[in-house]
Amino acid sequence: MAKEDDERKPKSAPWTEFFWNPRTHEVMGRTASSWGLIILFYLVFYTFLAGMFVLTMYVMLCTIDEYKPTYQDRLAIPGLMIRPKGELMEIIYNIEDTESWDKYIQKLDNFLAPYNDSVQAQKNDVCTPDSFFYQEDSGEVRNNPKRSCQFNRTMLGSCSGLGSESDVRTYGYGTGQPCIFIKLNRVIGMLPGKGQAPYVSCGPKNQDTDKIGELEYFPTNGSYNFMYYPFYGIRAQVNYSQPLVAVKFTNITYNTDVNVECKIISDTITEYSERDKFAGRVSFRLRINKNI
Amino acid sequence: MGYGRSDSYRVATTQDKDGKGSPKKKGERDMDELKKEVAVTEHKMSVEECCRKHNTDIVQGLTNAKAAEFLLRDGPNALTPPPTTPEWVKFCRNLFGGFSLLLWLGAMLCFVAYIIQAITEDEPAGDNLYLGIVLSVVVIITGCFSYFQEAKSSKIMESFKNMVPQQALVIREGEKMQIDAVEVVAGDLVEIKGGDRIPADLRVVSAHGCKVDNSSLTGESEPQSRSPDCTSDNPLETKNIVFFSTNCVEGTARGIVIFTGDRTVMGRIATLASGLDTGKTPIAKEIEHFIHIITGVAVFLGLSFFILSIILGYSWLEAVIFLIGIIVANVPEGLLATVTVCLTLTAKRMAKKNCLVKNLEAVETLGSTSTICSDKTGTLTQNRMTVAHMWFDNQIHEADTTEDQSGASFDKSSATWIALARIAALCNRAVFKAGQDQFPILKRDVAGDASESALLKCIELCCGSVRAMRDRNKKVAEIPFNSTNKYQLSIHDTEDPNDNRYLLVMKGAPERILDRCSTILLQGKEQPMDEELKEAFQSAYMELGGLGERVLGFCHLLMPEDQYPKGFAFDCDDVNFTTDNMCFVGLMSMIDPPRAAVPDAVGKCRSAGIKVIMVTGDHPITAKAIAKGVGIISEGNETVEDIAARLNIPVSQVNPRDAKACVIHGTDLKDMAGDHIDDILRNHTEIVFARTSPQQKLIIVEGCQRGGAIVAVTGDGVNDSPALKKADIGVAMGISGSDVSKQAADMILLDDNFASIVTGVEEGRLIFDNLKKSIAYTLTSNIPEITPFLFFICASIPLPLGTITILCIDLGTDMVPAISLAYETAESDIMKRQPRNPARDKLVNERLISIAYGQIGMIQALGGFFAYFVILAENGFLPSMLIGTRLSWDDRTVNDLEDSYGQQWTYEQRKIVEYTCHTAFFVSIVVVQWADLIVCKTRRNSVFQQGMRNKILIFGLFEETALAAFLSYTPGMDVALRMYPLKPSWWFCAFPYSLLIFVYDEIRKLILRRNPGGWVEKETYY
Repeated sequence: MAKEDDERKPKSAPWTEFFWNPRTHEVMGRTASSWGLIILFYLVFYTFLAGMFVLTMYVMLCTIDEYKPTYQDRLAIPGLMIRPKGELMEIIYNIEDTESWDKYIQKLDNFLAPYNDSVQAQKNDVCTPDSFFYQEDSGEVRNNPKRSCQFNRTMLGSCSGLGSESDVRTYGYGTGQPCIFIKLNRVIGMLPGKGQAPYVSCGPKNQDTDKIGELEYFPTNGSYNFMYYPFYGIRAQVNYSQPLVAVKFTNITYNTDVNVECKIISDTITEYSERDKFAGRVSFRLRINKNI
Repeated sequence: MGYGRSDSYRVATTQDKDGKGSPKKKGERDMDELKKEVAVTEHKMSVEECCRKHNTDIVQGLTNAKAAEFLLRDGPNALTPPPTTPEWVKFCRNLFGGFSLLLWLGAMLCFVAYIIQAITEDEPAGDNLYLGIVLSVVVIITGCFSYFQEAKSSKIMESFKNMVPQQALVIREGEKMQIDAVEVVAGDLVEIKGGDRIPADLRVVSAHGCKVDNSSLTGESEPQSRSPDCTSDNPLETKNIVFFSTNCVEGTARGIVIFTGDRTVMGRIATLASGLDTGKTPIAKEIEHFIHIITGVAVFLGLSFFILSIILGYSWLEAVIFLIGIIVANVPEGLLATVTVCLTLTAKRMAKKNCLVKNLEAVETLGSTSTICSDKTGTLTQNRMTVAHMWFDNQIHEADTTEDQSGASFDKSSATWIALARIAALCNRAVFKAGQDQFPILKRDVAGDASESALLKCIELCCGSVRAMRDRNKKVAEIPFNSTNKYQLSIHDTEDPNDNRYLLVMKGAPERILDRCSTILLQGKEQPMDEELKEAFQSAYMELGGLGERVLGFCHLLMPEDQYPKGFAFDCDDVNFTTDNMCFVGLMSMIDPPRAAVPDAVGKCRSAGIKVIMVTGDHPITAKAIAKGVGIISEGNETVEDIAARLNIPVSQVNPRDAKACVIHGTDLKDMAGDHIDDILRNHTEIVFARTSPQQKLIIVEGCQRGGAIVAVTGDGVNDSPALKKADIGVAMGISGSDVSKQAADMILLDDNFASIVTGVEEGRLIFDNLKKSIAYTLTSNIPEITPFLFFICASIPLPLGTITILCIDLGTDMVPAISLAYETAESDIMKRQPRNPARDKLVNERLISIAYGQIGMIQALGGFFAYFVILAENGFLPSMLIGTRLSWDDRTVNDLEDSYGQQWTYEQRKIVEYTCHTAFFVSIVVVQWADLIVCKTRRNSVFQQGMRNKILIFGLFEETALAAFLSYTPGMDVALRMYPLKPSWWFCAFPYSLLIFVYDEIRKLILRRNPGGWVEKETYY
């Protein structure tokens, strides 16, 4: 009886026995063969599961079109976005402090490099303006690769960053008349307007009416020409150049926060989402400091 | 009373001093408490001494002033109610117990995160504040829920609290006055009469035919007479003490109050009972064990991923948010509520079957019970003396003792029987109380003592109206029973109006009756009593006595007309007629018969691996007879004494191991050491403890518990209450049970029927199995809840499942299905297997975790992830681009995030897709939980064997689906819970995985059934 009692009371044994029990040769309550079996089982089981998962994923991916996503309903209103983006949609710099705006210049230089006329001429076609540039597939036969229209950097005028004058080369940042580039998010197959080309209109947000000063838009009217639409996806339309609109703040009030909101004005994009502050519009803060 | 065997009954009543001598390490205080019990000395004092001790006067009583003084000194004459936990403590326990602490931690972290955000950011996202509030609300609601459930079941008890008698008749300053019993003080002179409840412990100073029912204190069902004489050293046995809270059955008595309130014998037992710590119920231990496992996993995962995310370069704030997510995902928020509901449902079901459960957790305890210590009187027996056997015509006849008169009958045509019946009916002072004609005879109330009632009912059943018989045989004279004569006789007119003789009928202790007889009636003919017949009488008497029955002898005499002519003046005080040379008619023996359902119930308990031990205050012979009758000592099993008698050798030569059964006398128990008791409990399967005191019942229970058993104790008396309290589950009797026993018990049998315990065992075992299933079901969905977070952190993919959706699963869709598993029927005959071993069979074991987390949960997670990838891919984000996108994906200022097709997305647009993914992941979990629910219905059987008859479960399937659809499609949910409508096709993403779960588990169970004890069973049978 006493022996049995001893057998029954390994609970009082040191807890280290849980990790290695010298009597039964158990590691964490299992012998080597027991561990081997259970690990083997889980190995096989998980391999099988992984296989099943890969299979279902493969089947799913087979149903996905290469050129156009299955659903686009969440992209009904394309977003607007600015360049340079700045931190937290804020563009803050000091005119005197070159370093404070040099980073914007560099970003813009990089951003606009693909729009250089030479690059555009090499890759893209000249299209007929003011009409949509349809390149539909004929049935099963893909009409690929699709061509894209040229968007030349020179179209951006004094915001092109091309030229000898430091004012133009610094996109106006050095002189306190910064250019902000606004792009309309790419959505496959979207036609952003019907009769009239959509254009960007910027204005003051909140009570900043008098601080914003005058604005200049490039290209003229600040519009996105129809010929850049529809977009067929980067796979079909490898060299697609997203049209840009540049806004130049010519006499913005210095040393103060200016809240700006830019909207796309179009006859198809009529309503803006209450929750999404970036659908069809974009707002940002501009603050240019100048030592007096 | 003292007929026949009652003599030996008395002798055996030299009750021990409550195991005073046995030095028990456990509970010194308990011993002290009980030792005080024998501190009563008043019974040995003379009345005068007693008066002196209590400063009172035997005629005048106390003065009012003194009474007031004593009242101030001793306090009111009432039992201190057992200490109750204050309500707010109970509430807090519910609010902060279990997983709540972990969830509070999560909520606190949310608030901290929000405060940090509020300080550092201009426009802090309200997500964390929102989540913190939601978590707090969840904790508070589940806390309140379990609190109210608990409160509801404890309310049942309030009806039982009225314990102290309301009024008492005291004599103070020579005047009789009715006062509230609580104002009675020591030294008061109290008068009691039949029907009263005794207001305090009294030393009787005078009595007139007073009888008290001490059954609630000692377990003896027979009313005891009371007189001013000290008849025993033991205060419990002596005739001159009456006890608080017992009942005076008949007669009147006057006594001096010697103890009041908690100092009474009853009060001490009650205090002893309430002072015992009971420990946790088995299910509470199991749930605690399970909470430890889950909390361990949650803390381990949370901390390791917290550290990992810091190492991976996430900010502290992000790491904290991840920690919250992991905690929320790990904790099955709804599970404890589910368990509570399951237990409540079972408790309700049991209440319908007459098992009232006071403490919700006790529902399961009966299922784990491995030993039942049952009281005899009133639990196993009907607590009603009934004629069991008759001996006439030199033959033992069996009477019907069943409650519904379905038993065997005997030959009633014999003339001897008619004579016997006539004596039993005439020499009998018991009468039916008026106005009960509509009730069956056995249910009618009788005025009179138990044996006479038994005879009355027996005769009424066999021979029709006793009243009519008595009317036909007018009583002329009568000598009532007294303990010196040990007989009772009465003289009647004969039935035949032309016969002018008188009929003398007599009953009493058989040997005394036989002494007075010279002839015996056989087949209606008087024959002279010879030695052979005397021998036959002796053997019949021994046989019936050996059955534990109380035997009465009956004789009669037709008085010669010449000596006793019509109109003879019989003088009963100075007997002027013959009481010798009578004609012996027969014997009748009575017993408190076992309840009809008990033998069956004991058998069921036995086949369910439960050891049934009888623990009674009654005499060993009676106890053994009943034990044999109900199968506690089964047929063919012998005690040491039986073996000795069979082999005709001294008891000491019998190897105790040969005897499976044993009957142990309380006086022997007193001298036993703990080891010896353990030895007995271990080596005998069928044990009867007789003549036990309350303290010994406690020792027996403790002995069983030392052996690792989970012990149920049934009992109705106050003497049972310490054992009831100490037991893992105390079962009190609802009808006959005393208030103290009900208070100490965890469960009350409303119909006083032992058979209801079997129901309790069955329900308890079923709920344990079903809770396993329910927990397996609920825990499984933890894996698809945790893995999204882990992948979110490690692979930097957009979050597949949010915390709010996790709460929707845990507290929404999973609830009804999990509860519905409580309605699942048993897979096999649960009453045919052994009780679970609490050390080995855990509610949640590593096999359950392995199945739920390692296997089914993983399949579920894959189902959810598949839906997630489908939605993202169909919206343009192919899986290949997702890894590493988290940083820009969650950046509010990136509003032109490019997808795999070159389309650009604003933050809000892609977040809607992400939340749609959360919704789809959620719906997928619901879909895979369908299969899991069906799979969890059974642990061994195929669902095709088990069937789908559980309607609640089917309802649960529809309910969770409907709820998921509601959450997804209701307008406004996008704002409230950030859940978005799904395209119909997305509902089907998880279908293959759902099917896989079903097929996988069916195959697993098939292998499990095919190879009992094989590897699959060892590793996966939970």
